[in-house]
Amino acid sequence: MGVLFSKHPRTAEFEEAALPHLPELYRTAARLLGDSAQAEDVVQETCLQAWKSFGRFAPGTNCRAWLFKILLHTVHRHRRQRFRSRLAKESEEILEQAAAALPAVPERITEEEILRALARMPAEYRAAVLLADVEEFSYQEIAGLLNVPIGTVMSRLSRGRKLLREQLRELARSYGIGPAGLEGRRG
Amino acid sequence: MNCEDFREYFDAYLSKELPPRTGRVVLRHVEGCPLCAAELAARARVRGALQAAVRATPVPDGLEAKVVRAVRTQHARMRAGRYTIVVAAAAMICLAIVNLWRMKSGSEEAILRKSSGRLAAVLNVGLRDHLQCAVFRKYSRQPEGAAQIASDLGPAFAGLAPLLQAKLPPEIHILQAHHCTAGGRQYVHFIMAGGGKLLSLILTRRQPGESLGGGIDQAGVDRFQVVGFESQDYLAYVVSDLDAQQNLRLAASLAPAVRDYLAAHAG
Repeated sequence: MGVLFSKHPRTAEFEEAALPHLPELYRTAARLLGDSAQAEDVVQETCLQAWKSFGRFAPGTNCRAWLFKILLHTVHRHRRQRFRSRLAKESEEILEQAAAALPAVPERITEEEILRALARMPAEYRAAVLLADVEEFSYQEIAGLLNVPIGTVMSRLSRGRKLLREQLRELARSYGIGPAGLEGRRG
Repeated sequence: MNCEDFREYFDAYLSKELPPRTGRVVLRHVEGCPLCAAELAARARVRGALQAAVRATPVPDGLEAKVVRAVRTQHARMRAGRYTIVVAAAAMICLAIVNLWRMKSGSEEAILRKSSGRLAAVLNVGLRDHLQCAVFRKYSRQPEGAAQIASDLGPAFAGLAPLLQAKLPPEIHILQAHHCTAGGRQYVHFIMAGGGKLLSLILTRRQPGESLGGGIDQAGVDRFQVVGFESQDYLAYVVSDLDAQQNLRLAASLAPAVRDYLAAHAG
């Protein structure tokens, strides 16, 4: 009955804990979904879900990781399977082509270029790279967030990062920058 | 290890995922290898560019307000839902209490309580047994048959059943008859029904001081009409949900046969 009649059952506490993480939740959702409006909806849905289950959240534990886990689950439900499949196929082709010598990663990488390269990655790789390289979660934390073994996280990160670099090198080649062929060369 | 082997560690090194000792080994190699140093720098550059680009993603101005509004609306709905449940539960409890009260008010005791003061104590005796056996107890609406009725009544009263049936209006039939006890008193009880009405003829030995004054007495309580008459040793009651006049006429038609039978067979 205490909860039933309490004026604000942990809503204020929830807002205090969750709202500071909205920008990072949003930018991750936006990069994973590639659609700002959908990202907004997903963040809102994530927060509602988190608020409903806030009773199960233990104060003092990692609220940020907990919110990201809910976010990734929500994104997963929103993502369209065909979209993901198409990107995965394209990405594998890019990795195969990368066997040829390519120019070095450009010295100057614009925001637009890197975001375009990110957007072309399969969602699984993109999520792992965003969580590790932008949000700076540990590999172990990412395994928990994505609910996969740590070996899978490392594999996705390795392929994802490599894809990103290959795409940037492709870009450099299209600009007419000469091959450097650093990666893959034995020292 | 060659350069390619070291480069396998570069991303983990940048992510601070390498054990410190391995990290130092990687760093030592990079310091002495310009190509690997360039590769490590390239990877750091990509990571930095990615961080900067993603973190520069503009967050919609109204996002926080939208989320807060959604959470608070949901909160309000949930509270309203909870109060609705509480109100509904309270309403159901009230309804249950009212129903219980209505059931109790329609119970045997409630009817008898109403009868006090309106029905002579002697008439109340018959009403009690009718309520107990005919009204509130489940019984078959199918007549049990003459043989079963005779068997249940026993030799002293078996002969009364056909006499009663002969006096009853054609639509009324004896469903069953038995000996019973109510309020510590023994009765002979004929349950009759027909035309949507339920009737009892009830006989009980007169106790000292009980008398209907030698005639027929009548009273009504709730939906029941009670007519009492007496023989030398017995009080007899016709209780039914007929109207007062019908019940009185029926009792008057039965009384002579009942008195005669009791005088002759159950004295």
